[in-house]
Amino acid sequence: MNADEPTVLVIEDDPQIRRFLRAALPAHGYRLLEAETGGDGVTQAATRTPQVVLLDLGLPDLDGLEVIRRLREWSAVPVIVLSARGLERDKVAALDAGADDYLTKPFGVEELLARLRVALRHAAIVGGSQASAVFVAEDLEVDLGSRRVRVGGREVHLTPTEFKLLALLVRHAGKVVTHRQLLVEVWGPGAVGNTHYLRVQMHGLRHKLEDTPARPRYLTTEPGVGYRLREPSA
Amino acid sequence: MGRMSRDRRPDPVGWPRYAWGAGLVALCTGITGIMFPRFELSDLIMVYLVGVVVVAIRWGRGPSILAAVLSVAAFDFLFVPPHLTFAVSDTRYLVTFAVMLMVAVLISTLTVRIKEQAEIARQREQRTSALYSLSRALASTRNLDAMIAAVRRHVEEVLEGDLEVFLVDERGRLEIRAAAHPFARDPKETAVAQWVHEHSEPAGRGTSTLVGAQALHLPLVGSRGPVGVLALRLEPDRPALRTDQLHLLETFASQTALALERALLAREAHRERLAVEGEKFRNALLSAVSHDLRTPLAAIAGAASSLAQSDDRLDASARKELVLTIHEEAERMNRLAGNLLDMARLQASSVVLHREWQPLEEVFGAALHELESRLGQREVVLGVPDSLPPVPIDEVLVERVLVNLLENALRYTPAGSPIELRASAAPGEIVVEVLDRGPGLVPGEEERIFEKFFRGESARSRRGAGLGLAVSRAIVEAHGGTIRAENRAGGGAAFRFTLPVTGGPPEPPEPLTETGGGR
Repeated sequence: MNADEPTVLVIEDDPQIRRFLRAALPAHGYRLLEAETGGDGVTQAATRTPQVVLLDLGLPDLDGLEVIRRLREWSAVPVIVLSARGLERDKVAALDAGADDYLTKPFGVEELLARLRVALRHAAIVGGSQASAVFVAEDLEVDLGSRRVRVGGREVHLTPTEFKLLALLVRHAGKVVTHRQLLVEVWGPGAVGNTHYLRVQMHGLRHKLEDTPARPRYLTTEPGVGYRLREPSA
Repeated sequence: MGRMSRDRRPDPVGWPRYAWGAGLVALCTGITGIMFPRFELSDLIMVYLVGVVVVAIRWGRGPSILAAVLSVAAFDFLFVPPHLTFAVSDTRYLVTFAVMLMVAVLISTLTVRIKEQAEIARQREQRTSALYSLSRALASTRNLDAMIAAVRRHVEEVLEGDLEVFLVDERGRLEIRAAAHPFARDPKETAVAQWVHEHSEPAGRGTSTLVGAQALHLPLVGSRGPVGVLALRLEPDRPALRTDQLHLLETFASQTALALERALLAREAHRERLAVEGEKFRNALLSAVSHDLRTPLAAIAGAASSLAQSDDRLDASARKELVLTIHEEAERMNRLAGNLLDMARLQASSVVLHREWQPLEEVFGAALHELESRLGQREVVLGVPDSLPPVPIDEVLVERVLVNLLENALRYTPAGSPIELRASAAPGEIVVEVLDRGPGLVPGEEERIFEKFFRGESARSRRGAGLGLAVSRAIVEAHGGTIRAENRAGGGAAFRFTLPVTGGPPEPPEPLTETGGGR
């Protein structure tokens, strides 16, 4: 086992999910730590300092939100929550409580690896690595420093609000950003709940950046949760 | 009727009636005094007779007898010789006195009887009209509570008391319906009602059983047995019901019982129909779930066991095939589980839509994104005009509709055929269409495919019997829209649903002023 391999702590009471992760993750270069309960999970997160935490929201001992709160008291470790479809409100609550992203059960290994990759990259940026001032994903190019946006080499003019939104999504590229987070950042805490403001701006942004706004390549909608800007091209 | 007349007191009791009688005799005496010098005694007696008749008519039997006696006395004392004594010189006058008394009694008796009969006729008339209006009120509704309200209104108006109705519930126990008067909640009264119900006999105040009760309780007996109890409470200082009133109440009760029985039977029939439908639904659910779960399970179990046991004998492509089978079938089961959950959630009566104004293209994008891997290289033609106004929808649910309709199109159309997804604005609504160029729908099944667990006869509608379309319909209808399917001109199926749009979104304010750098 390579010591450089990133460590993933999974806090999940279902043995079959852990079994699947135990088989899948090492094959893709991750070390796996397992915790069956929220309490054990918080302890292991403190003692063994994993690089990413996968947290099931339906634990028997602790509410998933409580686990996130306890972790966030002292740790910035990326947390990806696992939850079922139809429980969008739980996911949003977890994200707003400090989780970084979510995966809807059942999920495939590809999706899981993508989330882990994004989480690790953001952790590295926060940890001091140089964040690139220029975001590139396929034909989309966003220069945060000079506030220039290009699609396929052609410059696109955004309104200040659109740019603010896009810059925020770029900073979280690959991760979901909730409606609430976007509203608070762009309009202020008073705008929470007025998702409509956000949708109007996203509509404008999509029409400027996407070839087919109804089938976006860059800015995807996560119904009931928020928006996600795709990962930057490697 | 005899008992009734004994109970009746049509005129005020007491001496004024007798005083009037005596006064009239005095008047007659005055008239007789004036006539006395010029008339025979036998003519004078007629004046008194007229007076007695008038008294009998106006003030009844007692005063008329008093008047007769007084008349005889006055006549004897003043006019029959020897004057100013009660002595009678001619015995003929004794006959006159006797006739006069008899006439008085006879006339007063006849008058009283006529008056009584008039009163009875009046009451019968009143009762008939009360019964008629009650039966009309009862016939005009099939609602139990409305019936009880009608009975209460009529009985309380005619008998001036507080009325309550206890009804038999499904388990044969008495329940109070819409109690309006506090006495009905008194456990003592409900116990009396229960007794009356069990024995089918009246009880309570004014009867010989359980006389301590506040109210009079009558059993409500329909053609098939007891349906409840009617309780009438009179103010404690009022006398108990007269016999005619009791008869009236009994008639009210039997009418009420028949009407309530009719309503109860209708309710029972409705419930039975629901139970049958529920049973049918459960059967369909069971067969669909067992079929739709077992089929993918069988494939998964088979593929997995092949892999587990004969891995070394399988070549790479066979292994890949088995693994893909497992993956696809697991996804199929996941979709079924998702649809079952959606259906259960939508059927819970408390579905709350989280509506927000939003451009429909967002939901289109989300649905297409979710199906990305399954769509693969399938051509998707999008038709969303830029001018499409925002719609107030629950995006999570409407996305399910699109995913279900797109999946349906994917499943039933050949791999190379295009799928179209369109939206357009119509007055008051937005119309969304999912169009394909597959084999189309079986004629006659256009409506039925939206039924839960519908399984068509033909092969093209058999596999994976849809909950997806039933879920879609439930969601669209929850939004106040409609969903429909039909065959397209030129081949293929068209699924069309509407989303109503009324009003418009609030105007967004200016965002926060820039904090990080210039514009």
